[in-house]
Amino acid sequence: MTTVTVEGHPGSEGPPVAEARRGFGIDLVRAIVRNKKALVGVALLVFFLVLALFPGQIAPDDGQAEIFQPGLGASWHHWFGTTAYGQDVLSQLIWGTRQSIVIAFAVGGLATAIAVIVGVSAAYLGGVADGVLSLVTDVILVIPIFPLIIVIAAYKKSAGLFTLIIVLGALGWSYGARQLRSQTLSLRTRDFLESARVRGERKLYIIVYEIIPTMTSLIVASFLGAALYAVLFAAGLQFIGLGDPNSQSWGTMLYWAENNEALGANMVLWAIMPGVCVALLGAAFALLNYAFDEISNPALRLRRLDKPPAPDRRDAAPLAPSSPENILEVRGLTVAYTSDDGPVIAVDGVDLEVARGEFLGIVGESGCGKSTLLYSITRLLGPPFSGEIVGGEVIFNGREIATLGERQLRHIRWREFSVVMQSAMNALNPVLTIEAQMRDACKAHSTMSSKEIADRSREVLRLVSIDPIHLKSYPHQLSGGMRQRAMIAMALLFTPDLVIMDEPTSALDVVAQRSLMAQIKELQRRLGFAVIFVTHDMSLVRHFSDRVLVMYAAQVSELGRTRQVFEKPLHPYTRALLDAYPSIHGPKVALRGIPGAPPNLGAPPAGCRFAPRCVHATARCQIAPSLLDVDGELVRCVLYEDAEVPAAAEARA
Amino acid sequence: MSVSEPLLRTEGLTRHFRVGGLVSRQMLHAVDDVSLEIGRGEIVALVGESGSGKSTIARLLAKVYEPTGGEIHFEGRPVSSFRSRRDRLAYSSNVPMVFQDPYSSITPAYRVDHGVARALKLHRRDIGRGERRREIERVFDSVGLAPARASARKFPHELSGGQRQRVGFAQALAFQPKLIIADEPVSMLDVSIRIGILNLMLDLREREGVSFLYITHDVASARYVADRVLVMYAGHLVEEGPTEEVLQRPKHPYTQLLLSAVPDPRAEMNVVETVAGEPPKVVDPQPGCRFRERCPLAIARCGVETPLLRALGPAHRAACHVA
Repeated sequence: MTTVTVEGHPGSEGPPVAEARRGFGIDLVRAIVRNKKALVGVALLVFFLVLALFPGQIAPDDGQAEIFQPGLGASWHHWFGTTAYGQDVLSQLIWGTRQSIVIAFAVGGLATAIAVIVGVSAAYLGGVADGVLSLVTDVILVIPIFPLIIVIAAYKKSAGLFTLIIVLGALGWSYGARQLRSQTLSLRTRDFLESARVRGERKLYIIVYEIIPTMTSLIVASFLGAALYAVLFAAGLQFIGLGDPNSQSWGTMLYWAENNEALGANMVLWAIMPGVCVALLGAAFALLNYAFDEISNPALRLRRLDKPPAPDRRDAAPLAPSSPENILEVRGLTVAYTSDDGPVIAVDGVDLEVARGEFLGIVGESGCGKSTLLYSITRLLGPPFSGEIVGGEVIFNGREIATLGERQLRHIRWREFSVVMQSAMNALNPVLTIEAQMRDACKAHSTMSSKEIADRSREVLRLVSIDPIHLKSYPHQLSGGMRQRAMIAMALLFTPDLVIMDEPTSALDVVAQRSLMAQIKELQRRLGFAVIFVTHDMSLVRHFSDRVLVMYAAQVSELGRTRQVFEKPLHPYTRALLDAYPSIHGPKVALRGIPGAPPNLGAPPAGCRFAPRCVHATARCQIAPSLLDVDGELVRCVLYEDAEVPAAAEARA
Repeated sequence: MSVSEPLLRTEGLTRHFRVGGLVSRQMLHAVDDVSLEIGRGEIVALVGESGSGKSTIARLLAKVYEPTGGEIHFEGRPVSSFRSRRDRLAYSSNVPMVFQDPYSSITPAYRVDHGVARALKLHRRDIGRGERRREIERVFDSVGLAPARASARKFPHELSGGQRQRVGFAQALAFQPKLIIADEPVSMLDVSIRIGILNLMLDLREREGVSFLYITHDVASARYVADRVLVMYAGHLVEEGPTEEVLQRPKHPYTQLLLSAVPDPRAEMNVVETVAGEPPKVVDPQPGCRFRERCPLAIARCGVETPLLRALGPAHRAACHVA
């Protein structure tokens, strides 16, 4: 039904996943108006609510009186005809709405309340309490509900409204309870609960005020699911005659229609319309459920850019790479995301060349577009990174890959370039051995025989100094450093020309980090592939990269040879990044870091984007600086617009 | 309480966890026999790799875990004697904790002042409603979240990682604490904003006289803030001393390894041969030095006798047979 992510998005770029609470109040109204499913669902539900609240004002009569000619077809006087007893079908439908609504809300509420209490308590208390509560939940889950209700209803002779609600409520909570339990389990180790415990909060407080509000969207989903189930079940039970035959409900209507063979007679609508109503009310709950899921989890929304994309250079005749030395050429690459507040340009006209065998470091703070750049080069943009290339081109090995189809892409991905992701624990499949994952990769991208695959797998593991015995290991059996090295081994299966790495070491401790970096460099020297290495930590690329690209607010702010950039940084941002490191060498100096945060890319500052945080900012920075060539290094800063400006010399000093 | 009594002192602090299946009797020795001291207004850095037991120490001091053995003395009183809810609340308000992950340490369902408001309600009952608002603004102000009033009314997802971590410090500050345990407070933040948080710690010590136990794997940041540094390896304290002393003259081979791996964009690459491998999981250990497998200096004695901390300089101690 629904899986709700309450998880934040630590450390990664791209659009943030909304927290559970997001979308309340005005936001919720806005979200509903924007979401078609929600709009239809709300409209249907309001329609039925109005019918349920004011049947006396809306219905032509009370639906009970047998005062009309029996068995009439549809007519102006009786939209849906009359029953075999001479009652107006439309009136009966309207009066019957009330019971369905009452059942839906009462059962939804009851089942959700039980689900919350049982599910959350089980998970949070753990131990014996969890054992017992989970057992009860599972037993209820496997009880065939329909036969059971039939037995209960038969025992009670006929089930009135109250009995129906109690029975459906008592049996309908288990699904929600299981979901809430597993969600609570994943919350249980979250630091904010630990923080509440450290604060000295009592258990009950933590459950009621810390856990439950965090799961609002899951609880709403559970309510809607239970309501839907209640409407369908109640109608079903009444249809087979287990309800109160004198009650006014859609199910009872179906029961009498069936008994009078309405379908065979001229009273088709008597039999069909209650079913249609049940279906529509059910659809209302189901649509709301889907919509709520989408609203609380924006990653599920697949939207295209509504703004006409920037001038498209893709139609232009493909340019030959200016130099066959280059494995990758990126020209004017522009990538945009959609957001509720309009398009967000996350990569803005980036030009970039990577020579064969070169090691290029890309550095910058989170939210500067580094990861987006990398995902668009590798064509991995997709949910949740639902960005689109809106301009520019990416030429890899002489081929324009911004326009390649999936099949052609599959041909070059992994074989000619491969990607190593940030967190090996997330990128590796936890239920498959390393061997199986290597085999899958080989099968998907080549026609190697099993023996060749096995040989190659052992070979690449040895390359990264992991004993091939670990082919049989599962990811969790390896240490963090080994998992990361296994990822690199997998990336090297086909000896690619380019390996793209997204912060591959940032989850590691310093010692493991240092030795992994040294190993990457060593492999690169030996095998001759090019590397694009993305990181927010400049110290990592200091000793390993040939050139460094510094990105700020979606743009290139400096690009140059590593030695040059580190010894004589040109851009104030580069300098500020370097000055953010405390050192273990030399005298201790007070540092300030970079005050403030990178700008919101939805509305970047006019002029120089770094100016608001820059110590050298002047009035001239109000005009956007262009990328300048200073002694072969590229820099985007007005300080270098003409050599005569004294500020430039001063700033460099 | 004697004058020389430190703010907090542990004595043979030990925590074991049972590992393996239901019937397993294997014990993971997360923290073994750790004795440390934190003085008033002192910033002490606890340095080590993941799995060294430093986060377990944080949680033992914050009373998230109960120790398997040993004792914590706070202002001279053994913490195990705090039985009443009142005593325990008093201790937790004296020793709050700041967590590593700013993305998961604030309840997403509330505005960010929720934690501060609750802390005031639980621990500072003398403060009235109106005053509470002012106090909330004061702590938000003192952790550099400006404008304080507006920042306090935001939801966590509206704040950046660095700002969230400042909220973590605001929550700790609301207790009027004597010692803040900061468990890797900057490791998940961008390098560019880490310094801001480190400066905040220095600033709070200056203005509020708070002590800090700063837990980190980054020796350079430890040097930036800490007066003293403690180095942990595989559940043992292996070296301690004044920060500059330990950094200039590291005695333990593990400290030397750790120092050689410190990233520094301005320094030339140091040529110290890094020893491969990672800290072991210490399950049912035999006596002996736990670093010996990775140690270039190991001798036969290291395999049979656990080295104890011994003085190797003024206030400088290391647990190594060879050093």
